[in-house]
Amino acid sequence: MTSMDVFLQQAINGLSLGSMYALLALGFTLVYGIMELINFSHFNVFMVGSMIAMLTLEALGVVGQETVMTGLPLAAVLIVAFAVVMLTCGALGVGIERFLLRPLRNVKGPAAMITTIGISYVLFNVVLITLGSDAKNFPNPLPPIKFEIGGAVLRLREILIWAIAIILMGGLTYFVQFTKLGKAMRATAQDPEAARMMGVKVDRVVMMAFFVSSALAGACGLIFGLYYNLAKVDIGFAAGLRAFTAAVLGGIGNVPGAMLGGVLIGLIESSAGQIVGTAWTDVVIFGLLVLVLVFRPAGLLGRLAPNKS
Amino acid sequence: MLAQAVTFMSKPLEGISPTRRRALGLALLAIALLVMPIVNNNDGDIDTAANAMSYGILALGLNIVVGFAGLLDLGYAAFFAIGAYYYGIFTAFQVMPLWSEYWAPFAYIGLVEKFNQGGPDLVHFTLSFWLALPTAAVVSAGCGIAFGAPTLRLRGDYLAIVTLGFGEIVPIVARNVDSVTNGAAGLNGVQGPSLFGYHFGVASTPYYYVGLALLALLIFVSIRLRDSRIGRAWMAIREDETAASAMGIDLVRFKLLAFAIGAGFAGVAGVFFVAKLQTATPEMFNFSVSSMLLVMVVLGGMGSVWGVVLGAVLLQLMQTWLLPQVTEFAHAIGDLVGSAYLQGLDLVQWTQLFFGLILIFMMLFRREGLIPAVKKIPALSFEAQTANVTRGGFLNLANIPRWDPGTGNALEIRGVTVKFGGLVALNGIDITVPAGGVVAVIGPNGSGKSTLFNVITGLVHSDGGSIKYNGRELLGLKPHDILKLGVARTFQNIRLFSNLTVLENVMIGRHARLRSNPVSAVLHTPGNVTEERGARHAVDNIIAMFGNRLTPRLRQTVSGLSYANRRRVEIARALASRPGILLLDEPTAGMNPAETLELADQIKSLHELGLTILIIEHKLDVVTKLASNVIVLDHGEKIAEGTPDHVRRDEHVLTAYLGRAARAAVQETVDAV
Repeated sequence: MTSMDVFLQQAINGLSLGSMYALLALGFTLVYGIMELINFSHFNVFMVGSMIAMLTLEALGVVGQETVMTGLPLAAVLIVAFAVVMLTCGALGVGIERFLLRPLRNVKGPAAMITTIGISYVLFNVVLITLGSDAKNFPNPLPPIKFEIGGAVLRLREILIWAIAIILMGGLTYFVQFTKLGKAMRATAQDPEAARMMGVKVDRVVMMAFFVSSALAGACGLIFGLYYNLAKVDIGFAAGLRAFTAAVLGGIGNVPGAMLGGVLIGLIESSAGQIVGTAWTDVVIFGLLVLVLVFRPAGLLGRLAPNKS
Repeated sequence: MLAQAVTFMSKPLEGISPTRRRALGLALLAIALLVMPIVNNNDGDIDTAANAMSYGILALGLNIVVGFAGLLDLGYAAFFAIGAYYYGIFTAFQVMPLWSEYWAPFAYIGLVEKFNQGGPDLVHFTLSFWLALPTAAVVSAGCGIAFGAPTLRLRGDYLAIVTLGFGEIVPIVARNVDSVTNGAAGLNGVQGPSLFGYHFGVASTPYYYVGLALLALLIFVSIRLRDSRIGRAWMAIREDETAASAMGIDLVRFKLLAFAIGAGFAGVAGVFFVAKLQTATPEMFNFSVSSMLLVMVVLGGMGSVWGVVLGAVLLQLMQTWLLPQVTEFAHAIGDLVGSAYLQGLDLVQWTQLFFGLILIFMMLFRREGLIPAVKKIPALSFEAQTANVTRGGFLNLANIPRWDPGTGNALEIRGVTVKFGGLVALNGIDITVPAGGVVAVIGPNGSGKSTLFNVITGLVHSDGGSIKYNGRELLGLKPHDILKLGVARTFQNIRLFSNLTVLENVMIGRHARLRSNPVSAVLHTPGNVTEERGARHAVDNIIAMFGNRLTPRLRQTVSGLSYANRRRVEIARALASRPGILLLDEPTAGMNPAETLELADQIKSLHELGLTILIIEHKLDVVTKLASNVIVLDHGEKIAEGTPDHVRRDEHVLTAYLGRAARAAVQETVDAV
């Protein structure tokens, strides 16, 4: 492989990772934008999503890497799997908000954030106890089609990931910009009090934010499995922190910012892995997070979250 | 039944004062802990207890950061690792440079020894455990400062995620710098301590006593810090950063101090833990340790010294005793009813699930923890609440030293401009406050009055101009430096430290006039004791000025006070800093006419004592009563200035307040008459 091929290959890898981080980062950004809350449970809602996706695909008859599907059956299986995982994760997010976070909404201090840490722990350990800590063979029905571009390889799964990520992000942008609920969401992010007085049902908006972000996390869990062919109980932490970094890098509360940040973090991760070795990738990412927060806390595209103080 | 039994058993204790009862309880606890290893000579139990002590130390350290200063640190275990690896590396057979004569002096004082295993002579570090304890505290504290300096400026929730990242990085470094740490396999042959020739080895009992001594020492340090100027500053930062810095607390400095001292505790715990285990691996310090410590602090009560120790003990008991016991019980029942699920159940693996549940349940149902840091004070008696309040100006002024206003101008504001984006909040304002005078600032809402106070006290940046207090330029100074120079303020929307008592709030006002550092605060040096006594005396005198309004409520948390009393506490807090000029932002807002009159009289008393005052006020009768000079702001411009009577008739002022049409109507009425 020439260095150009290596570059191209890492760009392909980076874009795929970046699509996933962007989907996760959107969840952080939506919730933070509205409630100024770092939602640590998001880390493991994503992981639970990946487990649900695995079980759904298995229930649909896809076994490990052996079942290969094409055409309509493939599309049907994928659509059903996405629908199931997004709805269940969305419901999980709504449940978390309604029963565990709403009672704390007006409590000052870190109580809500500490609760999300607790929720994250519970989700992690419930999966650990019921499904075990080993890496699971994630069922993957995609045919092994690949294109060679010079020395670099572009697989079907990468194209699929990009396509799904673009569809979901486009849908979210439409939702936030043009629907009534999306507008209510943006208004609440600016000033919950004023929004409430203008007739916005803030409880519904917050619930919707949790539903959308958790559904995206679920979709991301499915994509993650299709990309790596594995599901594991500890994938939430590393991916979650990268996604959070992405949200901050793009400007927290800022929807396009989260997408840009996600893609950038993906590219940075793949090139850092190439340059300094994968063992140090985490250090590079966290170092970047600290640098962004210290020198440009508003992120690249500017922070849109309200500044309550 | 139980209640009766408790009442019966506590009968003999009734004659003993609560302080002595506490001392008695502590003594009994100490004796029980001291004889525990002798009575129960089970090595496993003693080892568990020793581990509980190291977690207790860690919880105490994290409590300083999270509980006292309110900085949510999710990567605290990193400092634990730093202390552990510091000791481990300097005693294990891992880092061994070639021997040369330069090492001889170190060998002489016992820090290194010559080591030969065939091949060339090597250096083996032999850092003493006893020397490592204090130096590890210093090293960890240094790392805390190095890490905290850039990040502690961040908002609280960002700090949480940055510390989380830091807590992840340290084990990664430990795992990947094989040559120094031996990577994932961990350091081998870390030396245990020895004392007067006695080697601790692997028996648990000596570690138990060392751990107990360290824990007792650090409980003592925590309590002394909490009850000092340092602890009050931390709690003020936790409650309200803006108000804390306006009351003279250097935010960066005190946050760093909390971070450093917390890290120091973790360094000590790291040395102890590694010496006991005689190895150090990266897994001993990952996120699950940080979060377990957080669970301990949350369970026991954030900010509560005894609470977090209890939290550490309870979690240790849960892991090593309760869960295995319940598991065995479940197995027995499983055998009995033939349930394969119960037979195979291992609840010890559920430990972290319970951690998560504890966090959630504590946050939802008992946020203050098992032993709350804030003691519930019974409400005042009916008599005390309905006692005849004293009205009129300030009372008991004999104990308040008079101000010497000096001559000339106390405050000179020249051409100050403040812009928020496109909005000009203040445009080239000139204001002069003569020494010993009272100047009032009035103006419609949004005219820039509070911005004026914020720019004087350093809370907002100015875009030009100059503010001189007694000839010193204030612009560019930090809020705490401005207070130190003698400019104190109150806030329009009362900013008290709501979970602290009246006494604590006013004592925090004294902060800038006190000097105690952590060392003198812990040791109670004569200087520190005199200073604290003097501060308390001064604060009592200030509170006594309000007659019987605040004195009976000294130990009540301010969140439970009436609105007017909270206003009074805020004024008392500002006066406690012994300011040269007092800035009052709408002090009578929301008060009824009687209270307003009382407060106006009190401000007049302050003026008669020689204090210089700048006051924002809407009620014109108050302004007329107090001020010699009135400044009127509108849309960020000064539109009039003069005596209250002059300003009252000024055309611009009437227009600004009433609008053009109404103004004309008023004029017509006046003309008609």
